[in-house]
Amino acid sequence: MSRLQTLLPRLIQALITLLGVVTLVFFLQRLAGDPVLLMLPETATAQEISALRHSLGFDRPLWLQYLSFLASAVHLDLGDSLVQQVSVLSIIASRLPYTLALAAAALFIAIGLGIPMGAVLAMSSKRWLRGALEVLLAIVQSVPTFWSGMLLMLIFALTLGWLPASGSGTWQHLLLPALALGLFNLASFARITQRALSEELARDYVRSAVARGVGPMRLLLRHLSRNAALPLLAVAGLEVASLLAGAVVVEGLFAWPGLGQLSLQAILSRDFPLIQAIVLLGAFCTIGLNLLTDVLYGVLDPRIKHAQVSR
Amino acid sequence: MLRFLMWMLLSCCAILPAVAKEQLTVDLVNEPASLDPHRQWNPDSYYVYRNLFDNLLSRDDDGQIVGEIATQWHYASPTQVDFTLRRDVKFHDGQPLTADDVAFSLKRIIDPAFASPQRGQFDSIIEAQALAPDVLRVTTASPYPALLAQLVKLSIVPRHVLEAVGDQAFNLAPIGSGPYRFARWQRGVAVLLTRNSEYWGREGAFASALFRPVPDAATRLADVQSGSADLVVSLDSDQAAQLEHAAQAKLLSVATERVSYVSFNTFRPPFNDQRVRRAAALAIDRQALDQALLGGREQIVNQLLTPAHVGFSADLADLPYDPAQAKAILASVGELAQLPVELATTPVFDQRIVQALQQMLTEVGFNVRISVVDMASFLQRMNGDASQTANFAFVRYSCACQDADGVLYPLLYSQNRTQYKDPAIDALLLQARSLLDAQQRQPLYRAVNLRLNEQVAVVPLFQSVSLYGAAKALQWQPTANESLFLNRMAWRP
Repeated sequence: MSRLQTLLPRLIQALITLLGVVTLVFFLQRLAGDPVLLMLPETATAQEISALRHSLGFDRPLWLQYLSFLASAVHLDLGDSLVQQVSVLSIIASRLPYTLALAAAALFIAIGLGIPMGAVLAMSSKRWLRGALEVLLAIVQSVPTFWSGMLLMLIFALTLGWLPASGSGTWQHLLLPALALGLFNLASFARITQRALSEELARDYVRSAVARGVGPMRLLLRHLSRNAALPLLAVAGLEVASLLAGAVVVEGLFAWPGLGQLSLQAILSRDFPLIQAIVLLGAFCTIGLNLLTDVLYGVLDPRIKHAQVSR
Repeated sequence: MLRFLMWMLLSCCAILPAVAKEQLTVDLVNEPASLDPHRQWNPDSYYVYRNLFDNLLSRDDDGQIVGEIATQWHYASPTQVDFTLRRDVKFHDGQPLTADDVAFSLKRIIDPAFASPQRGQFDSIIEAQALAPDVLRVTTASPYPALLAQLVKLSIVPRHVLEAVGDQAFNLAPIGSGPYRFARWQRGVAVLLTRNSEYWGREGAFASALFRPVPDAATRLADVQSGSADLVVSLDSDQAAQLEHAAQAKLLSVATERVSYVSFNTFRPPFNDQRVRRAAALAIDRQALDQALLGGREQIVNQLLTPAHVGFSADLADLPYDPAQAKAILASVGELAQLPVELATTPVFDQRIVQALQQMLTEVGFNVRISVVDMASFLQRMNGDASQTANFAFVRYSCACQDADGVLYPLLYSQNRTQYKDPAIDALLLQARSLLDAQQRQPLYRAVNLRLNEQVAVVPLFQSVSLYGAAKALQWQPTANESLFLNRMAWRP
């Protein structure tokens, strides 16, 4: 009951945020006009343009279009794509697994490499190793994904011929886009790990553990990891959103058929129902992840849970 | 045992290329918007669906109009054309294709309620009726010389299927009568077509064809260079240069019917003054643009038409490049020349050309500001109120019909698309529209082009070239109408 009491205001807040995001996007995308001219051939006359505009309902007052959108949305009917003329939900459902797979693989690479690198930076006594890692991190963080992606493609697809340059269907197809996306986000995990571990290493309980003769691996895994996990968890929540944003570039480059590529196409073709549905999903996921992070905070650190409940 | 496994592995490796060749992989820019041929009009859609459906007429590799489903045709009157159709054509579900299907297809497009984007190409047609199972009559509101050129784009859909399943279901699983059948469409991933082994005409050389969306041109180039795609579309001149020495791939190019030009807004100063328009035209070095930026591949034109169009005039004088005269004109017009001018464009068009145009015009004394907006906003502005439209724009245009009427009428008649109005041109275009004989129309279009050059209403620049990357072993001749007919391609023996 107490957990529900904590979550209820957050849920209401989330719903209001969702409504705000959708309303903003609905009106913002219409500020620049409608997609009718894009849908017609270059030879279309003024009469044909207005006829199509009328048949798509873009000549109705904006508030009427908005109300009819909201009325459909509460019934989970987000409409048909103007371009593909099939339900936007079915289009998104077919693309979502690709983005999830890419984001998961990229996150795996970012976490799998970033956390050990951060641990080495915080705990290693070898200066040359720390220096080399610092340089490496600076490089991967400053190289934009479209460039690192091209470089990966040039090396592994064109020169070595080991991996396909684009497409989907096998793990080989996933590897290059996941690397491009994961490497860019790796540095954040490494830096947060380094900072969190450094802070923990200065605490009394670590000194007493070392005095008791606890080895560095045991110290890291048994004592430091749980305490250093809190800031990492907060970063992970933000990084997932950043991964999804980065996916727009990476998916376009590697022709990976996920939501990022779909979003770009939908925006360029002004496919309003599709844009609205993607934004709604994005907002839903971001808000949901934030909620989940809050809950996990409570699990990892009971003091936070108690503070939430008492508040 | 080990030896047997090695043998198996080597055998697999040996047969892999042969198996792969059974399927042609094509990289498009985007996935088709729709596979219903009457629902959508963009290259990525018709690259695919023109292999699923037969058209009433077609163009051969030389660009001449030839029969596809129609075997012959004649004018019953200046507004009525009777087509005799093949009797051996079957849809992929085994049902015969008849004149009734062709009439249904035409009526579907011209029905305002259906809102087909192609309606404008067929709106001269007021009636289509099946006189017999193999005879179709098409009636136009008035004599319309470009009718056959427009009918080249008419894909025939099966009436019985559409009436049974409806538009939505047909879009998801289209049934045509073309050389390839629809097999699978994995959204965002690929469309798979398989060979129609019962096709009445030339059978496709590939058992299947896979069309994939690959938005980034550099990735398409990498795909064809690494052999993971057999044919890729829409490369630019820099990418084309990389293919000239590639080991596995080659460059294919064709001059299209698409013309790029500078369009003036003649309703706003300073380009409402013909002298200022002439100064701008004289400042543009089209030879330098082509050589320096386009690899010398584009054809320089002196009109809005190309040799691929009916109505093209081969004897027009070339447009001069004379920056000294341009400066002299600007010096003589006084304050008009000092007005800042806005050059509108969109990223879809080559921005290197836009920047070079700005540079050339600035050098003779214009004060040019480039305004880049997305395609939808650009079209909106160009179609909007002349007082709000930019001073001039860099654009490309194609009617996909290879007929002067399809270009000049929509662009110029009563200021349809260009911000220019000229009663003399209107009269010439209307007169040319009423004549069916191409030879009688020719001098009228020549007069239009002469008048346009004299008034400097537009500055024609280039006949665009389509650049494709292809596997070395692929035999194919791309054509001006930018279609990918799979049954006109083959592997080199």
